[in-house]
Amino acid sequence: MNVVVEERELVTALQTKEAKEEAFRELVSQYRERLYWQIRNMVLDHDDADDVLQNTFIKVFRNIDSFKGESKLHTWMYRIAANESITFLNNKAKRNNVSIDNLKDSAVSRLESDVYFEGDAMQLQFQKAIATLPERQRLIFTMKYFEDHTYEELSKILETSVGGLKSSYHIAVKKITEFIKTNETL
Amino acid sequence: MKKENKIQGFKAPEDYFENFEERLFYKIAEENFPESSGFKIPENYFADLENRLLAVVEAPKTKSKVIPLFRTKHIAAVAAVAASLIIGISIFKNPDTNTTIDSLQLATIDNYIDAGNLNLDFYELTSYISDEDISNLDMQHLQLEDAEIEAYLFENTSETILNEP
Repeated sequence: MNVVVEERELVTALQTKEAKEEAFRELVSQYRERLYWQIRNMVLDHDDADDVLQNTFIKVFRNIDSFKGESKLHTWMYRIAANESITFLNNKAKRNNVSIDNLKDSAVSRLESDVYFEGDAMQLQFQKAIATLPERQRLIFTMKYFEDHTYEELSKILETSVGGLKSSYHIAVKKITEFIKTNETL
Repeated sequence: MKKENKIQGFKAPEDYFENFEERLFYKIAEENFPESSGFKIPENYFADLENRLLAVVEAPKTKSKVIPLFRTKHIAAVAAVAASLIIGISIFKNPDTNTTIDSLQLATIDNYIDAGNLNLDFYELTSYISDEDISNLDMQHLQLEDAEIEAYLFENTSETILNEP
């Protein structure tokens, strides 16, 4: 209940000219890490994640007046972050004249030498496996697995049924398992 | 009385038991996935994020330069030329003038003009038109459809005019 009241007050402040800046600082402070990691798990590279995170907050700032409260504020922001991540990847692929699969392959192959990746061999293999998933499925998997959203929360964020999400997640787990199994025997 | 094995009223989804082993296998596999992604962030990355964001959202919006497709002053010039041409031709075609040019000679002049042989500067041409000539014009025949004016402008406006800053 407290979270709901807090959010409602934050939205009111964000929609009030005099209080907007301070409210926005509070909003960024509260959600920056959660949104960052959601985005980073999709785009992989820190600089790209920084771009998308900024785009997400800027979009929130510029559209807060039209936020009607039909969903929770954090649901709305997670949704914006998810859409911005996928849009970013699609645009980057287009700019580089490659397919999104090629883009992901390059991004994952750069992880080993990335100063902002400190994973071991297993974690690297895990990221390679996740990168083979189609975008929407990858989003569902990373948000459920790493961000620990419940299916009900994900259903509201991604506007997909709980049943659909469960099915997609389980298929993702299966694919990742098969990938790891296949590649560890090579 | 035969002992019931099933609990009354409950049922399991179709294929639940058939797929159980496979689902259990993948559930166990998932338990073995790495807990974290392995990603890390630069030190103090989040420290000044708010300031950076506010600098962007509160920056004065710079109006991007809009280059209109048609400049008003050039449209006016081209429209004046178009109007002069129309008026000039109308005067030549005007049957109420006091010239003695008969219809055959008029047709010859029309053909001469249509073939682009009239080397008169249009501004020079308009100098021969008096106020009386203009007031004698049959304005009904001068009514042009917007589409006709647009088509003329599209065909007769040079890229140089359009690309001028």
